[in-house]
Amino acid sequence: MRGVFWRQLLRFAILNVPPWIEPIVMAFWSMVFLVWGPGRRGVIRNLQVIKPGSLAIANLFRCYRVFWNFAWTMADNVRFKELRTIPDWEFTGLDHFQEMQTREGAILLTAHMGSYDLGAQLFSETSSRRIVMVRAPEADPQTREFEEHHGADSLRIEFNTRATELALDLLETVREGGIVAIQGDRVTGSISTLPATLFGKPTTVPAGPFALALAARVPIYPVFVVRLGRRRYRLITSRPIEITRSRNRNDDFARAVGQWTDELERVIRQCWFQWFTFEPHWPEKAA
Amino acid sequence: MNVVNCAAARSLPSRHRFALARLIGYLRLRRSRPPSEQPEHLILAIDRDQSALEMNLVALWVFITTTCYLAAALPVVLPLAIVLAFPLAAIVIHLPIVVGGPLLRLMIGDGNHIKIVSVTTMALLLLASGYFAMTATWARAVAWLFFAILIVNGFAAVIVWFLRGAIQTAEERCVR
Repeated sequence: MRGVFWRQLLRFAILNVPPWIEPIVMAFWSMVFLVWGPGRRGVIRNLQVIKPGSLAIANLFRCYRVFWNFAWTMADNVRFKELRTIPDWEFTGLDHFQEMQTREGAILLTAHMGSYDLGAQLFSETSSRRIVMVRAPEADPQTREFEEHHGADSLRIEFNTRATELALDLLETVREGGIVAIQGDRVTGSISTLPATLFGKPTTVPAGPFALALAARVPIYPVFVVRLGRRRYRLITSRPIEITRSRNRNDDFARAVGQWTDELERVIRQCWFQWFTFEPHWPEKAA
Repeated sequence: MNVVNCAAARSLPSRHRFALARLIGYLRLRRSRPPSEQPEHLILAIDRDQSALEMNLVALWVFITTTCYLAAALPVVLPLAIVLAFPLAAIVIHLPIVVGGPLLRLMIGDGNHIKIVSVTTMALLLLASGYFAMTATWARAVAWLFFAILIVNGFAAVIVWFLRGAIQTAEERCVR
């Protein structure tokens, strides 16, 4: 489901669908998207790992719930960009979140859950700290152009394509006291990785956030934006991951990655219906 | 505008769209306790479409009403008509959006057309209800229920208008 058409369709819906029939439209389109084979199969394969021993029919219904939440999340994100409508926010770990804003530079590590975009944009508008969001580039040039045109002005987005230059830019941002937001749950493209274990299975996570934290000597804050209901989100901030330098860099990374994946696993286990990973996360499961 | 750390603000009438929901919101707000010394960590948006319960109930009501009208209009036996009417209703509800949206874009340009589409959709429902209310089918009851809800909402609008000062005071007390 790539291409600018879907973005345009969503924007059209946000500007034309009355809120009091929106639940029907969401339910209908979530059903339509179940026909999207690769996405459905990807979600179901991931669910087989997260919820082992489940019936196939149960995972199909769960897949619908993932699509339903994804639809609402995307809609809330576009609504914020187009109409500046913000949702209700609740906070868990607010002390960690506030602490992050007082630090001289930090890395906000999150996952493809809830609304990463909405959370980052809200953060950029409510915090005095400069935030730079790193994300995988849109493969389709038209989609990329659309996103740049309809993005929030206050938020700087960097694409993880030009590895060396980007690393230096981000290092500078963090050293100047800014916050770099990165998604650390899956690897896209040819970025460097670190080995990890998630739900008892081997996987990899992006090495960038951990290398950046080590180089800049700043903590990593695991932050998750979880959708609680209609226009209602919870920002979960966990205790920071401090990467301590020792003689063995691999061990330093392994400890930090272990803390991150423990946190990630805990949140995914609770909110599996909001882990928007439409490709099989564990490739050997797809084979 | 947002309200910070006041759980009672969930019931603010300003967070509801329809008069009946605004009135219920006001009554709930009056009954709510004053904010505790240790507030919850919340940011609540003040937006007329913020209430999940209200929007979900209205959506359900509109969907069931449309399904009933379609089931009554389909020239097949009732059980089959009801089965067919469910997916059809989901499609039919899209019509004012997919027809009206592009037309509005052509006429008045790109932008927020929610209000016009909203009024058009409600007007179409009103017309359909008027038609079915005068037929001798079972859908007549659904149509009269539709009008009854509109009338109750109309009464609520009058009460809300008379209470507008008290509502504003209650909201300001909560927001403060």
